[in-house]
Formats: sequence, C-alpha cells, structure tokens
Amino acid sequence: MGQASIFQAPHRSLRAASLLLSASLLASSLVACGNSARDDRAGGTGPLPIGAAIALTGNASVIGQDQRIGLELARDHFQGNGPALELTIEDGGSDEGTATNAFRSLISADVVALIGPSLSQQAFAVDPIADRAGIPVIGPSNTATGIPEIGPFVSRVSAPVAQVAPLSIAAALRLNPKIRSAAVFYAQDDAYSTSESKIFQQALIDRNLKPVAVIRTSVSDTDFQSQITETLRRNPDLIVISGLPSDGGNLVRQLRELGFKGTLVAGNGMNSPNIYSICQRFCDGLLIAQAYSPESTTPINRAFVAAYTKARGGAVPPQFSAQAFAAYQVIAETLSSLQVSLPAGATLAALPRAELRRRLNTALLKGRYQTPLGEIRFTPEGEVIQKQFYVAQVRMNPDGRSGRFQLLPTVPTP
Amino acid sequence: MDTLLQILINGISTGAVYGLVALGYTLVFSVLGVINFAHGAVFTLGAYLTYLLLGGAVGANGLLAGLHLPFALPFWAALPIAGLLTALVSLGVEASAFRPLRRQQAEPLLYLITSLGAGVILVNLLQILLGAEGYSLPTTALGSLPTTLSLAGAQLRTVQLVLLLVAAVVLAVLSVWLEGSRSGKALQAVSEDPTTARLLGIDSDAMIRLGFAVSGFLAGIAGGLVSLSLSISGPYFGISYGLKALGVLVLGGLGSVPGAVLAGLIVGCAEALVPAEWSGYRDAIAYAFLFGVLLLRPQGLLGRPQISKV
Repeated sequence: MGQASIFQAPHRSLRAASLLLSASLLASSLVACGNSARDDRAGGTGPLPIGAAIALTGNASVIGQDQRIGLELARDHFQGNGPALELTIEDGGSDEGTATNAFRSLISADVVALIGPSLSQQAFAVDPIADRAGIPVIGPSNTATGIPEIGPFVSRVSAPVAQVAPLSIAAALRLNPKIRSAAVFYAQDDAYSTSESKIFQQALIDRNLKPVAVIRTSVSDTDFQSQITETLRRNPDLIVISGLPSDGGNLVRQLRELGFKGTLVAGNGMNSPNIYSICQRFCDGLLIAQAYSPESTTPINRAFVAAYTKARGGAVPPQFSAQAFAAYQVIAETLSSLQVSLPAGATLAALPRAELRRRLNTALLKGRYQTPLGEIRFTPEGEVIQKQFYVAQVRMNPDGRSGRFQLLPTVPTP
Repeated sequence: MDTLLQILINGISTGAVYGLVALGYTLVFSVLGVINFAHGAVFTLGAYLTYLLLGGAVGANGLLAGLHLPFALPFWAALPIAGLLTALVSLGVEASAFRPLRRQQAEPLLYLITSLGAGVILVNLLQILLGAEGYSLPTTALGSLPTTLSLAGAQLRTVQLVLLLVAAVVLAVLSVWLEGSRSGKALQAVSEDPTTARLLGIDSDAMIRLGFAVSGFLAGIAGGLVSLSLSISGPYFGISYGLKALGVLVLGGLGSVPGAVLAGLIVGCAEALVPAEWSGYRDAIAYAFLFGVLLLRPQGLLGRPQISKV
C-alpha cells in the first residue's frame, strides 16, 4: 500500500477541493444577501410558509416523531380555515448543530413562524437566531427554565418543568405515604434534564425527602448497571429520573431487573409511548406528570384524538403530539384572526414579511386558544398559561410490549 | 465485596463487547492497514437483524412499518444468523467501499471517507426502513432463564452472564481458528506482508474478503448481544460503540488480536469503576485514561513499536 502523503507537493485534487470550497462560500454569501434583501419586500400571494424543526434523528427522534404526527394532523385540520399555510418540516436532529442548520434553512425559506426545536438544549442555541431575525418561534416541548426569556419572539406551549414536575412526586407520595428516601438520576449533558432534575430535587427536599444519591448520566448512555449497583446499596424508596425515552427507558428496565421494587417517577422527556418498546413490562407502574389528557372531552380534543387514532391504527395520542398540534393551532388561528382584521381585498401574504411576523407575534401573545391541551394563553413574555395538569401511571399489557398511560385523579393547577 | 464483584462483572461484560467490536476493526486493519469506519453501522445492523429474527415487528415510523418475519427464532439461533447476515453486508462494504480503491492503489485516507460513507448510507437506510424509534429484544428472549442471578451475594442480570459467555466462546473460537487453521494462518501471513504472502501462493484478495466477513460477523454478534442486554436506541446507537472500540483498538495496539481483547476488558472495567455520581463523565474519564496510557506507550499495550526507515 503506497504511503505517499497528501501534504507532499500541491495536489491537483486539493486545488480542486479549494476551488470548490471557495465557490461554495461565494454561493452561500450570495444566497445570504438574497435572503436579507427579501426580508424587506412584500411576501407575495402564495401560501404562508410555516417552518418546523424537530428531532427526526438522534436520541430525541422518538419525541420528534410524535411531534411530526401532531403537526401533520394540525395542518390537515386547519386547512381551509383562514389563510393558506404551507408547513415545512425539517430534521432538527438531537443536537444543537443540526437544529441550527434546520433553523437557518427554514429562515432562508422566508417562513412566517417557526415551531421547534424538540429539546430545550437545542432551544437555547437556536431560538436566539429566530429572535434576532424577528421570527416568532413556538417551543412545542421545551420545558426548561428560561426558554421564554430568550427573547420577545420566543414562546412555548409546553408548560415549564417547575409547574409540572412536582406533581408526580406528590402523586408518588399519595400512592405510597411510606416513602422516606429517594435517589435521583439525570442526564447532565441535557439542559432540560438538568433543569427538571433541579425542580425534582427541590420538590423532594420540600417534602423532607433528601436524595440519598444524585447520579449524573448522559443522554447517550444505555448501560447503567454500575450506577444502579451503587445506588441500590443506599436503599432508596423512590427513584426519580430525568432523561429521554432511550436512556430513561433502559434505566427503568435495568433498575427493575436489578431488583429495585420501590416507586419510579420519570420526567417529561419520557412522556411517550415510545418507552414501551424499551423498558417493556418493566415500564409498569412508572409515574409521569402530564400536560395533556387524551380523555378530555372538548370538541377540539375529540377531533384530534379521532384523527390521531385513525392515522395510527387505534393508538391513543401522546402529549408530544398534542403539544405540537397546539403549537401549529396557535399560529394558524392567530393568522386567521389577523386575516379577518385586514381591509377587504388585502391579504397577509402581501404584507412585508417582517411586518407580518411582528403582527403575528404581538397577536399570538394576546390570544386564548382552545387546544387539545385545554385552554391556553400566554404571559407577555411568552410563557404558556395552562389550566389543567395530570399524573399518569404506565400500565403495561400482558404482552409486555404495549400499554397505556392511565391517568390518576386530576390535580388542579396551583 | 459483593458490590465490587458486581461492578467488575459489569465492567468485564461491557469490555467483552468492546473487545468483540475492536477485533473486527483489528482484522481489517491487519490485512489492509486501514480503519473500516462502516464497522459501527454493521454492529447496529446486527442488533436490528437479531431483533427481527426474534420475530420483532417494525415500528410505526419506518417505510416497513408493521412488518415482521413470518417466523420467530429463539435467541440462540437468531444471534449467529444475524452474524452471518452482517458478514455478508461487510463483504458488500468491502466490494463497494474498499476494493475499487484498492485496485487503483488509492491513498489510505480515501478508504476512511468511502467506508464512512458506506456506514452513513447503511445507518440512514435503517432509519428510512425501520424508523428512528428504539427497539428492545423481548425480555423473554432467554426463555425460562431467570431475570437475575445471585452470585456470592452479588445480584447479576442473567443477560450480562450470557453476554460474557457468548463473547468468551466467540473469542476462543476465533483464537483457535487464527492459530490452528490454514485459512487463519494465511490471514496472519497477509497481515504480516501481503506481497510475500502472494509470492507464497496465498490469495491476498480472498484473505481480505475473509477478514471483512469475520469482522462483520463479530460486529453482528456484538450488536445482537448489546441489544439483548440494553436496547437499540435508534439507528445511530452503534456510533458510540464504534468510537469506543476504535479507542480500544489503539490502546490494545493496532492490529493486535490479544491486545484488542485485553484493552476492551481494561476500558470496560475502567468505566465500571467510575463512581456513580460521576458516571455522566464516564466517556471523558475512559478517554483520559486511554490518552494517558498512549502517552507512555504510543504503540499500545501489545502493539509493536513502529520503526521508521529513512
């Protein structure tokens, strides 16, 4: 095998590569110039583009796949009501880099509003890009503390962890008042998990349950056997997990396999039927706080559940699909009301895009929306105000592969 | 004491998988002098194939949603069949990403790109066909074996012991084949010096193909074992194992078969001994350890020093 170095004498292929790179850079600059020029002109007459960047690949893809269904159902549901909208879904991956590329690509496509990304960790990286560009961005599943504070164009339909997470601890204590000690596992490389775990730990302290172990894991971990061995030596009655379906599901399975018989509480990141295939029969009994109930009987939720059930062969919609539906609904209904407020003959598409985005953001934060999540509205900063939350307990079927989120008695919003 | 035993068995079982994957890299490296970056993807494929052969159905998000084989094999049959199928895929990788470049006597760096490309294509195909959701082998895959076993007071998952046992058998068979069979010795001869081996009448191309096939088999078996113990967290889950095994390959000494096994066990145990509270930094600690060893011994634990001729 020849060992000639590519660093020897200028290589023709290297020169060609340099030329190609330069040409690409030049082309990118031209595209960028084109976009900035386009921001100032009137939009035109076509459908209004809405962009969504969600995790279709990587660790969080199980969340993104739930969200894609919710978005597609919302697009179909609101088609024909109000101005024509065109939804583009981009893969935002499960990391900040991919989400940044997806946001930039959608911004280049001159979208009116953005939905996404799937993870809070990504939101801290990409929401400032949309905010600087003056594009309203709605987080469908970003629950970490500090998301709406990123900027005036950032809001979310996903209730913050501070509101939701403590409910499952309260439910665990209602189910088993003898709980005296707790251990905490969280993915230290994920902003949502870290943020949620702080809330969980405070909730435990508030109830005189000082954690006997706080174990920092990683979202890419699947093997927790050594950590579990050490933790179980400290005999916790309750274990609280903040992670995503893949790492969290494996953790639940291994905890049960290694003999943990106490109560398990999981955070919002594991709030998906996609955990069934990972922890299987060991998912049974897991407590997870919910921002959505498929059993709600409001007309919009009945329509959403019917559409979802039809699309997914009888399956019950998960929270992430409902939240994605709500995010699209907020944008669609606000644009619809803006259209109505225009003089006869005028269209939103004809407005300068920057002006349309500004009006959309202002109106969006003032509205009330009857969504599958129940009635929601926003604070002036973009924080969602939601009326009702729930706690569900996972109940696995005898086959150990399918199950359901069985709601415990409802808990009113504090 | 029981906790230490438990942690050590955790480490050895994890290390055995690293060793299996690293051996796959080693076999290709020893005959071609290049790294096969598609190896992690072949490992992933092995996990999916084991799942499907056990009768698992494709989830809702892939093009093949709902599909399952009309039969369900027991784990003991599914695992070697998955290994054989990944051996065929590995041969495909050799034919498409390596052989054309070899014929043109291309730079070794180019193999890196073509094999990486083959790996990315394979992973994306898996995602398109099977979706990105996680899959787990049924918890009943080991039949009537209990979920946990008690050994000297330590509580152990049965799957860990099965993983360890299978890995040990595979490694033993591989050693016997390499040292005791004609084809194993021919493979070693090609890894020593392909030109001399050719002059001695050994078909180097056939040996390279054999190296890829065995490498693919090992990756498939390792993928199937990991999917039994943990889960398939999506088409990308082989990447971290592939990267870790690359570190193991270097630590053991490039091209050294016993080195890959030894280094796998060392890295597995080093990871298991990281305190639980710091387990989120396990990779950083494992790589820092690797870094330190390589500073002291650049040729790896059992590698031979490179002699530069001027």
